[in-house]
Amino acid sequence: MSSTEMLLKRLPNDIGGVPADPIVQTDHPLLPWEKRCHALADVLDFHKIINSEEKRRGVEALGTELIGKLTYYERWAAVFALILFEKGILHPEELARKMAEVQGRHQAEPAS
Amino acid sequence: MANASPLVNPVVKAMGEEPSFKIGDAVRISVRYPVGHYRVPTYVRGKRGTVTAIPYAGINNEDEGFGKNAGVKAYYYRLSILLTELWPGYTGGASDRLELEVFETWLEKI
Amino acid sequence: MEEHDHSHDHDHDHSPIESPGDVPPSYYEVMETSLRELLIEKQLIAPGEIRRQLEVLDSRTPALGAKVVARAWVDPEFRSRLLEDGRSACEDFGITFYDDTKLIVLENTDKVHNLIVCTLCSCYPRPVLGLPPDWYKAKPYRARAVKEPRAVLKEFGTQIPEDVEIRVSDSTSMVRYLVLPRRPEGTKDFTEEQLAGLVTRDAMIGVITIEPVN
Repeated sequence: MSSTEMLLKRLPNDIGGVPADPIVQTDHPLLPWEKRCHALADVLDFHKIINSEEKRRGVEALGTELIGKLTYYERWAAVFALILFEKGILHPEELARKMAEVQGRHQAEPAS
Repeated sequence: MANASPLVNPVVKAMGEEPSFKIGDAVRISVRYPVGHYRVPTYVRGKRGTVTAIPYAGINNEDEGFGKNAGVKAYYYRLSILLTELWPGYTGGASDRLELEVFETWLEKI
Repeated sequence: MEEHDHSHDHDHDHSPIESPGDVPPSYYEVMETSLRELLIEKQLIAPGEIRRQLEVLDSRTPALGAKVVARAWVDPEFRSRLLEDGRSACEDFGITFYDDTKLIVLENTDKVHNLIVCTLCSCYPRPVLGLPPDWYKAKPYRARAVKEPRAVLKEFGTQIPEDVEIRVSDSTSMVRYLVLPRRPEGTKDFTEEQLAGLVTRDAMIGVITIEPVN
């Protein structure tokens, strides 16, 4: 069996039974944007704009590097963007322009 | 309410309305490798278990992952699998078990 | 837990939801904000929906699950209904489910100890417990709970006798699970509210048992 076969055959999240470290009982209170991201996921699922299973599939498809390096809700944000593009609901340029606007909005605020 | 009498001419059920397995059935989880999305973890494939419940009928979650939100439904079966069946040399209780739900198309009667 | 009346209309409030102004938003926060605003501009989601769902999420905490457990401990008929159809019994109790998930309540006894996991992602009974802790979503728990549950339980300080059967439930579908812990010794005279105070999130995940009282 070639080594690259396993990359498609076994999804990166399919980890039941693999060797792993002791459990570290960490937790963190969600940042406001993370909570909003969770709420967005729920609303997208209600409307079936992006259902929960599509979100899971989208995260799986990011691949090991992105999965490993992005945090839980960062992965969701990336997946929402990518799936919305796939479906023609948003275009990459639209999102890029809006992100620049939002970023600029913050920089335009007077220092507190 | 009085018990309803069985229909003299029983209805024809739609596709997927009748569960293929019943509680107590011994089943084996198939071995296959769907590309792109699946919800049957590798660690249970090829393993034998018993149906303990039939929680609901729904569309195939592998298809749902690609945007299918409606379609023919089939049943999800709750299976009980001994950990000794899953892990050679398991050193816990001999009757320790895993329980999970599996979509009908992944199951074979044994 | 204080009850809020959620019937008042939030839709008139169109002000953007911002994070505290003195912290620059991260790249992904900017992405989340942008996606949300674009979806609202395109009228694919309504302005008040996210705000409302935030309130729904804030109202879901382990205190809800604790109340369900305490009720099951004192009311055999409720317990029976809860084990028969977890979602229905919770809904009768006033805990609505905002999604299509089902709930199976897993009863711990002197012969069986249950714990729950989602090896493939992070499925969790959110409508009745709120959001899961980070460790539940991380690799060590997800990888090991299904293979060496007794060792995992030991890491939480929980020792289950050899003759008690351990059952690990792995979420792979629309079904979610809630562990119904055993009522601890020494609580015969406890009120339902006092009983609920003993029930923690980790006991309803099944990684701990509830200690006897004095």
